[in-house]
Amino acid sequence: MTDAGAAIGAATVIAERPTHGEPRPYHFPVVDRQRLANGLTVIAVDLPGRELVTASLLLPAGAADERDDEGGLTTLMARALSEGTQRHDAIALVEATERLGASLHAEAGWDALSVGVDVPVARLGPALDLVAEVMAEPTFPATEVQRLREERLNDLLQARADPRRRADEGFVDTIYAAGSPYRRPAAGLRETVERLDAAAAADIHGRRFDPAAMTLIVGGDLTGMDVMELAHARFGSWMASPTAESRRAIDAESAVSERFVRVFHRPGSVQTEIRIGHVGVSRHIEDFHALSVMSAILGGLFNSRLNRKLREEKGYTYGASAGYELRRAAGPFAARAAVNTEVTVPATIDMLAELNSIRDAEVEPAERHAARDFLVGVFPLRFETPPAVVGAIAGLVVHDLPIDELVRYRSAIEAVSISDIQAAAISHIRPDAAAIVLVGDADAFLAALEGADLGRIVVEREDAEPAAGR
Amino acid sequence: MPVPIVTFSDERLPNGLRLIIAEDHLVPVAAINLWYGVGSKHEQPGKTGFAHLFEHVMFEGSAHVGKAEHMALVQAAGGVMNGSTWLDRTNYYETMPSHQVELAIWLEADRMGTLLDALSQENLDNQREVVKNEKRQSYDNRPYGSWSERMFGALFPESHPYHHPTIGSMEDLDAASLEDVSSFFRLHYAPNNAVITIVGDVESARIRTWVARYFGGIPANPNLPVKLPDLSLPATLGGEIREIVPDRVPLPRLFWGFRAPAYGDPRLDALDLAGQILAGGKGSRLHRRLVRDERLAQDVALFSMGFTGGASVTAGWATARPGTDLELLEAVFWEELERITREPISPDELERARALTEADELGALMRVDERADRLSMYATLFDDPDLINRMLPRYLSVTAEDIRRVSADVFRADNRVVLTYLPAGAAELEPAAA
Repeated sequence: MTDAGAAIGAATVIAERPTHGEPRPYHFPVVDRQRLANGLTVIAVDLPGRELVTASLLLPAGAADERDDEGGLTTLMARALSEGTQRHDAIALVEATERLGASLHAEAGWDALSVGVDVPVARLGPALDLVAEVMAEPTFPATEVQRLREERLNDLLQARADPRRRADEGFVDTIYAAGSPYRRPAAGLRETVERLDAAAAADIHGRRFDPAAMTLIVGGDLTGMDVMELAHARFGSWMASPTAESRRAIDAESAVSERFVRVFHRPGSVQTEIRIGHVGVSRHIEDFHALSVMSAILGGLFNSRLNRKLREEKGYTYGASAGYELRRAAGPFAARAAVNTEVTVPATIDMLAELNSIRDAEVEPAERHAARDFLVGVFPLRFETPPAVVGAIAGLVVHDLPIDELVRYRSAIEAVSISDIQAAAISHIRPDAAAIVLVGDADAFLAALEGADLGRIVVEREDAEPAAGR
Repeated sequence: MPVPIVTFSDERLPNGLRLIIAEDHLVPVAAINLWYGVGSKHEQPGKTGFAHLFEHVMFEGSAHVGKAEHMALVQAAGGVMNGSTWLDRTNYYETMPSHQVELAIWLEADRMGTLLDALSQENLDNQREVVKNEKRQSYDNRPYGSWSERMFGALFPESHPYHHPTIGSMEDLDAASLEDVSSFFRLHYAPNNAVITIVGDVESARIRTWVARYFGGIPANPNLPVKLPDLSLPATLGGEIREIVPDRVPLPRLFWGFRAPAYGDPRLDALDLAGQILAGGKGSRLHRRLVRDERLAQDVALFSMGFTGGASVTAGWATARPGTDLELLEAVFWEELERITREPISPDELERARALTEADELGALMRVDERADRLSMYATLFDDPDLINRMLPRYLSVTAEDIRRVSADVFRADNRVVLTYLPAGAAELEPAAA
């Protein structure tokens, strides 16, 4: 199977690159927003031709709103919502959902909790019945909540053994001060999770349940549907729980004042997971669009500075990236890569150099064009289907952003100048106060690390694998 | 509910390139999906990993495109792109705003026609290092990361090309010369071994003009199709294979693997539904019994992967909770598999599995990229792109007896591989491959 066969003629291809055609105008779908008498907001987005409809009932309070002693409770409560209601046990609920050809999901994040469903449009009404039931009438059976708690504790054991998750957990534990919820994963850590139970789930459900804070978002082919009427029939009689609370102020304080290195020793590891960064910014910053362009250039595009250097020039990694997690308060900023053990220190130095250089000098005009053209051009691709459109609107609701935020997105990106990009880098990247977190075989790179003068070095050698199982 | 029919045109250029077009003007986007009939099963012993290596090299430039410029041009046009490699095939794809489709067609043609003009030792060496880091990241440095290599290694004899992993042997990649790699490309990456499908907000006449213009000058390779040796296999393994694997994991996990009917055989449709009933979601039999009721497992899975070369693979796992008796876990998992081979599933279970399959199919076919992928897939593997419209009716016509019968054929003790991953300290681990 080599060249022994018949000869192949030479290929002629067209050297000249095609220019693009006339873009068909794309507008973010029209959003209809109304309120029920009890304050529940209803947003309907008609997407002609989309017969599989997405509906999401959103409650904009999440893991960031938990007290320190109940970390992980929102996620546990969300998972337990579909474990039984006043009308159905968990299995009956699943079976009822499946008979509709629907998938029902209750989930929690940092800033919100949602119960959502994807369902053929003809069965939207019965699917919304289940959404209403799960959100308003959960019974939180004690043994099922206990099982979900144990599953989370086991998952935490698994996370310890997975170098990528170990690095992510070690990184936020390093950059946030004690007292910040962002110091833990949203689903919580052992110290708090092992104390959570059904009573706690019912308690936080009561503290969250307030229809005036909720938003129902429905996207799909809504021809002939009266979404307000559907919502009114199911949610219109809801009243706030007597214990309902408003969202909390979020502590996102940094624990890092000068650069240092924290190593989690993982003997025999063939790669080192690298995280370099610090407490980032909230979604509410003024220069959101400049930050978006800057972080695309630094670590978002395939040809970002980090990926070009570490992957395409050096071959150190399968991929290097950087970005901000934009939450209600300042989420983490990190540059990330998994590199082969031998190049741990040179790769770390290269990554730090990129964090510095995007602050020290203006980016090239071609870099700005590449990032701008991508972010503007990819906009219609991001909203092809109902789940994507509903998800984007949910993001606006969670962050209290105006509904036209997405309508003005492309012109705002186009207006970002080279000096705006540098200003965003200078304001929002702090290489001298960054934590460097390495999960890998410390014995293989510690000497080189000490010679590299990156800052104080702390090595944690405790075994990453607590004994479990048999 | 009416399932939308995908209407498409299907034709060939004189050089053998198959062109499929499906217009859909709902959203101003379009997907381009180019399948090559080359996968890791076409690799020779000592030269494994080449099909996947090309998934990297194809982005390193061609006569009129610089290193990594493919991504730069696609992204600057507002598009996204990637590639994938599997046992039977490779594909390359872009999703673009619809006014940028011509650029993607030109890019695909330039690399099909002239990739070797730009392939340098330096780029090859660089991407070889990237692939090694991909292997470290995705397999070697990941808990349970070796399971698929061990499973395929056990389910297929050494003489069969499904025995070796798609990412290949790092020794083979190290030993690969520029000439080795080039001759693999010359053989397989030709228009008469490719299907290009374009789905979305496009005009068919313009697509035809562009595809003819950009691909028309690339000659067919008269040495194709490649004659593969006979890949047929006995329907069952003919005996159980067990392996115990110490790994850096906190919880034991049992993996099961079975030989299953080849892709395209309707029995595999029934086996897909069996997988849904056994392990598809919280209401499934294995999840209910192992995770919810008896609480022996943290999670369960069971699914089929369709392959055309002799046999498919049905695989599954259960992660033990701390303190679980692994023998009991295995016995209960097996009991549920045996039960579905004996007792017919209930009408309600079948109805639910059908409703979910229908909704999944509807959800997947909403996206232009998925439609383009499937049209290219069915054309490449079965010479039958219209399967995109017939798969759902096929699934919906599966009966309880079809499910019972195929389960009885596949879930047999003499047709299974069982891998038991056990927690081990670092000292007990085998040294990592060089």
